[in-house]
Amino acid sequence: MTESVDIMVIGICTDGRVHPETYDLIAFGRRLQAFRPGTLGVCILGQDVGAAAREVAHQGSVQVTAIECPGLSHYVSEPYGAVLAEEIAAAKPVFVCTAHTSQGWEWTPAVAARIGAGCICGVDGLTESQGRICFQKDVYGGKIKGLFASNTATTIISVQPGVFKFTPAPGASSGCVIRKNATCRSERTRYLGTSRAKADVSDITAAPILVAVGSGIGNQENIKLAHRLAGCLPKAAVAGTRIICDRGWLGYSRQVGVSGATVAPALYIACGISGASQHVMGMRGAGCVIAINSDPHAPIFNEADICIVEDITRFIPLIQDACVRRINNKDPRSGVPGSPREE
Amino acid sequence: MKILVCVKQVPDIERISVRNNPSGMPALEISGEFRLNYFDEFAVEEAVRIKERMARGRIDVITVGPDRAADVLKRPIGMGADAGIHLRTPTDADPGPAAVASWIAECARPREYRLILCGSMSEDGMNGQVGPMLAARLNLPYATQVIAITPASDPSMLSIQREIEGGIREMLEIRMPALLTLQPGINRPRYPSLSRLLRANRQGLETVSTEALEPAGASIDCLGLVAPEKRRASQVLTGSTREKAERLAAILEEKAFL
Repeated sequence: MTESVDIMVIGICTDGRVHPETYDLIAFGRRLQAFRPGTLGVCILGQDVGAAAREVAHQGSVQVTAIECPGLSHYVSEPYGAVLAEEIAAAKPVFVCTAHTSQGWEWTPAVAARIGAGCICGVDGLTESQGRICFQKDVYGGKIKGLFASNTATTIISVQPGVFKFTPAPGASSGCVIRKNATCRSERTRYLGTSRAKADVSDITAAPILVAVGSGIGNQENIKLAHRLAGCLPKAAVAGTRIICDRGWLGYSRQVGVSGATVAPALYIACGISGASQHVMGMRGAGCVIAINSDPHAPIFNEADICIVEDITRFIPLIQDACVRRINNKDPRSGVPGSPREE
Repeated sequence: MKILVCVKQVPDIERISVRNNPSGMPALEISGEFRLNYFDEFAVEEAVRIKERMARGRIDVITVGPDRAADVLKRPIGMGADAGIHLRTPTDADPGPAAVASWIAECARPREYRLILCGSMSEDGMNGQVGPMLAARLNLPYATQVIAITPASDPSMLSIQREIEGGIREMLEIRMPALLTLQPGINRPRYPSLSRLLRANRQGLETVSTEALEPAGASIDCLGLVAPEKRRASQVLTGSTREKAERLAAILEEKAFL
């Protein structure tokens, strides 16, 4: 067993717990091997990573390099990047793969710049074009994807979580763990812990139906339209994209996306939402997705079961009327649904 | 405090359309309108607020791009920045984050900024790489996706919060000189004042040709564009606005959502 690898996966673990993205990255690495044959190994660094390394070696049937860094109990960009830069520069892998999370997205460009590697962030596909391995990623708000190839001996890639699925190979042999020690100091950045963004006053993750609004809603006054539509639908709640919450039109507890809530309602009505990957990651698990947007090229339509190209401010009152008529036909005794429901 | 803000001129993403070529490879149609990258407005605003809080300091704004990119420096000066630096590229082609970071680093190094602020990414390339690459080149501590900046008890440090997944924030203290990339929502960018905009029009910019700067090492090639894959059935409703509304209500009823 040699220590050097051609494809180096950077596993992720916190407090000794292996993050599931680590296995997705092994799956991505295996796909990469189909294009560029070579050895694949995982590298995990931090404080007390021995047990995590053994777990990944066993589950993933891979060689794992466990770099024990006393003092690095939590990820901090500078010491983490310094240890990784040294490891990558010494091992000289062709590809280094990590997850496109707040952590992976932070250190990959800096380490790439330090060691002169190419860097491609947010990869969600892999293909071959013009005889070169190409990595696919969103550009222009996700309206289109670009195919990117690197010219460098080492390329560092951050991969969108959840795109590549790991399945254990039947009868695969257990991997092995190589132990290393590293010293790291975080003199210029001090980690002080975590906090939750805002008190959670609504639970959009529990609502079976979500009416979610994006910047296509136009102005704060129009948020009432979404509340009215939600009022027509049983147990529906109103949610929003990051930009809506940033503007203060909805509380952050209603934000769907990577930095907000991950939701999986039976029905998700995306109103005026363009469909940037950061939002889509939070609602991809919805049962039925209806997207309403005036831009026929909006990427949300790729994630929708039913697509409606309309201005939502004109369309919502019409759909609300149509729903109310149907509800009243079913049960004329029922009240008038669709009144604004400011939750 | 001497602050540098890195900004980018981007096309208006809302007005971009995707055209299908006979070759099968899609192409982008850009209407020709360019503006300040949405994410960078928050970096400019934060710099102005820091300067106002300290009642002194200087804010330089820097951009890399062809001749037209100089326009993007006017709005930040209108918002309160002091001076603009245009690193002029000879063509329209995007040089990529590695080159941009190396050129800005070369320009920023002798000027000894105490704080460098960037948006968390650009709307066009969506790479989010220039900030961390620039920090690495200048050997600065850095943090990305920062959503709050406050003074720390130690005046050489800043207290910051950075967003991580699931609505959680990491709390850090970072020693200056440092580089931060900022998330939208950290502040509400102000409108440029008319008097400052007029001043920005009169005020000259410092222009440096990137051909005079050291070329960057690593490069990434874009080999083409592909249409995003449809993950769902994507049934498109047609007809008049009212007909679509009626059809959607019928679907909601059929699926027992009403």
